[in-house]
Amino acid sequence: MKVKFIPIVFTFCLTMLAGCTAKELKIPLEDIGMVGVMAFDYLDEEQSQITVAIPQYDPQAKEHTQIFSVSSDLISKGIVEIETLSDKKIVLNQLRVVLVNEQFALHGDVQNAIKQLYRNAEVGNKVLIAVVKESAGDMLKGEYPDKPSVIFYLNDLLQPSINTAFNPNTNIHDFMYTQTNPVFDSIVPFLETKDGKIEIDGIALFKGEVMHKRLSTNEGLIIQALQGRKKLAPLNIELKKEKLLIDLIDSKVKIKSNKNLEEPKLNIELKMSGTLIEFRGERENNLKSVDEIAELEKDVNEKVKQDISKFLEELKKIEVDPIGLTENFRMHYKGNWDKALTNETISKLEWDIQVDTSILSTGILR
Amino acid sequence: MSTNKRKLLNSYHVVFLAQSSMFGTGILTLPQRLSSLGYSEAFFPLLLGIIASLTLWPMIWIMSKYPNENLFRINELLLGKWIGKSMNMLFIFQFTLFLAAIISNYMQLIQTTALPEQSTTIPVLLLILLLIYIVNGGIKSVARFCMMAFFLTIPLLYFLRWAIEKGDVSHIFPLFNYNLKEMVEAIRKGYLSILGYELILFYYPYILNQKKAFKHALLGVWISIILCLITTFVSVMYYSEWQLKNVEFTVLQLFKAGELTFIERIDIIGMTMWVFLVLSTMAAYLWSAKKGLDSIRSKKNKLHIYIIAAVVFLIIILPYSHEIREKLFEVSYYAGYLLIVWPIFLSIVHLLRKKKVQQ
Repeated sequence: MKVKFIPIVFTFCLTMLAGCTAKELKIPLEDIGMVGVMAFDYLDEEQSQITVAIPQYDPQAKEHTQIFSVSSDLISKGIVEIETLSDKKIVLNQLRVVLVNEQFALHGDVQNAIKQLYRNAEVGNKVLIAVVKESAGDMLKGEYPDKPSVIFYLNDLLQPSINTAFNPNTNIHDFMYTQTNPVFDSIVPFLETKDGKIEIDGIALFKGEVMHKRLSTNEGLIIQALQGRKKLAPLNIELKKEKLLIDLIDSKVKIKSNKNLEEPKLNIELKMSGTLIEFRGERENNLKSVDEIAELEKDVNEKVKQDISKFLEELKKIEVDPIGLTENFRMHYKGNWDKALTNETISKLEWDIQVDTSILSTGILR
Repeated sequence: MSTNKRKLLNSYHVVFLAQSSMFGTGILTLPQRLSSLGYSEAFFPLLLGIIASLTLWPMIWIMSKYPNENLFRINELLLGKWIGKSMNMLFIFQFTLFLAAIISNYMQLIQTTALPEQSTTIPVLLLILLLIYIVNGGIKSVARFCMMAFFLTIPLLYFLRWAIEKGDVSHIFPLFNYNLKEMVEAIRKGYLSILGYELILFYYPYILNQKKAFKHALLGVWISIILCLITTFVSVMYYSEWQLKNVEFTVLQLFKAGELTFIERIDIIGMTMWVFLVLSTMAAYLWSAKKGLDSIRSKKNKLHIYIIAAVVFLIIILPYSHEIREKLFEVSYYAGYLLIVWPIFLSIVHLLRKKKVQQ
């Protein structure tokens, strides 16, 4: 009987004593400001300007989004400073988009900024990153009267969609992955404000930790195709006197290396199949038989091959590998692979490309 | 009640006891512990599994010589009362520290991710009370809990789906891309994650079919090893080498790769489900420690569970420096290795003193 009492007394004491701890301050949900978008602007080497957008749910508020802006050298310090400006407690649980302006990408330490967010367990992995021309803070402060809020606008814009399949949809994990994996250089979508609308205009290519240059949407599409993305954006092709648009249904890529680091060579096989949806040019009325379509496929193959070749030539010149082509050499290399080896390999790279396009149909019109 | 009988554990109880006592918080950090190997860690759990199988054999062998005694009794029989008892003290001390280490690790995880602004006193207390409740039912209740924990948590594997989709299989090549120094480092750090199967030294006398115990325990061990293998493999696919080294709780980050529209942070689900795995590991250890205290004081008493639990609670709660605590836990980890090789030593002593003991 006595023994049975001991656990009861023990538990009782502990529960009672637990009341002696300091009372915790619980914050009601209405008083939490959930940051939706964060923007970094370059001021100088030390300082950067941090702007955050927080949704405002109070029905009596006129604006739907609160914008705060501080300049700081540390990110967490910036967030604490924002808290003093705001009437709410700032949390990062609902962060969706991180914007970085072009200056910051070119001269600042993007990797460090993103690393701080990656470190924070509150921040989910779905946070998308984009580089903005000119000022990222101004993009948040801009007026978009036809959109509910800039937070949703940016998030929806950067989400994967078939017509913007050139967009790498870089999230925090992807960015850290490509930054820290020696066979990759990071790519991030590039945003620009045009006539009061935000537009994804190409992608930003990083070399090491800083942005190197801007690529066009077509080049972005080539990167996605060679990385093996299944669903690609409609392929826009200009032959000599003809223009056509192919809606791609499926694409497959096979890359093989010769395992030789002295004379690296890649064999790239790209297979695409799709529907011809628009055609303008000489042969417009002749595409009726299988032979004629096969002829067209051949021309398309040749053109795509040229485009890829041209793009790879450029990568070779600037020694950057956003596709991860050197992974095919690392696979067969014993020892530690580092960035220098990647750059060296890419600068010597030769390639052999086969493109195989098949046009499955031409729509319901003959 | 069935607790009055001596032989309690069916074959499937043995399988899941061996499996669940291995599979605790260790797996959460396994990819990080093995990271000195870089990408070649993908298949490394297989090697750990082979070592585990090899060390399991002497354990079963020495136990089969004394089918009705646990390790604490065997220590006393083979090494004499005083050396035996002091060894037993050491093991109990190690188990207690180990329990404290597991709880404080898990609580640290909870604190950094789920409850960033709360102290962990109350959760620790609740966890320990729950633990006492499980262990009070005896080894059979622990075994049943282990089974339940296994089947409740195995669906978590589904959450690895996104990481597999995103990952790159080519990372595993070239195979065996490491040197001896890196391998030793990986074994030293990584073997901790698969400790736990040695507890068969304590519940062996309760097994019904002792002849097949080796087979069943081995099955349990390899279920765990295969789960470890899946974990390291997917981690290697998904992460860069830098991330493998530097991201804490790599496995939970794998869950984060998922995208469900109605849940923002899948890792929280994973983490809270993990409490089952943590509890099942701890229950087995607490039960063994309790048996040890029984044997030292030469009488059975339910109070022993409470004593150990209170000590564990104090170790976690008392405000001494973080550094000392970490050192203490480190010591307990390495003492865990002692228990792995101990049966080999005992077997030698047994062969030397065979006649004396049997008299």
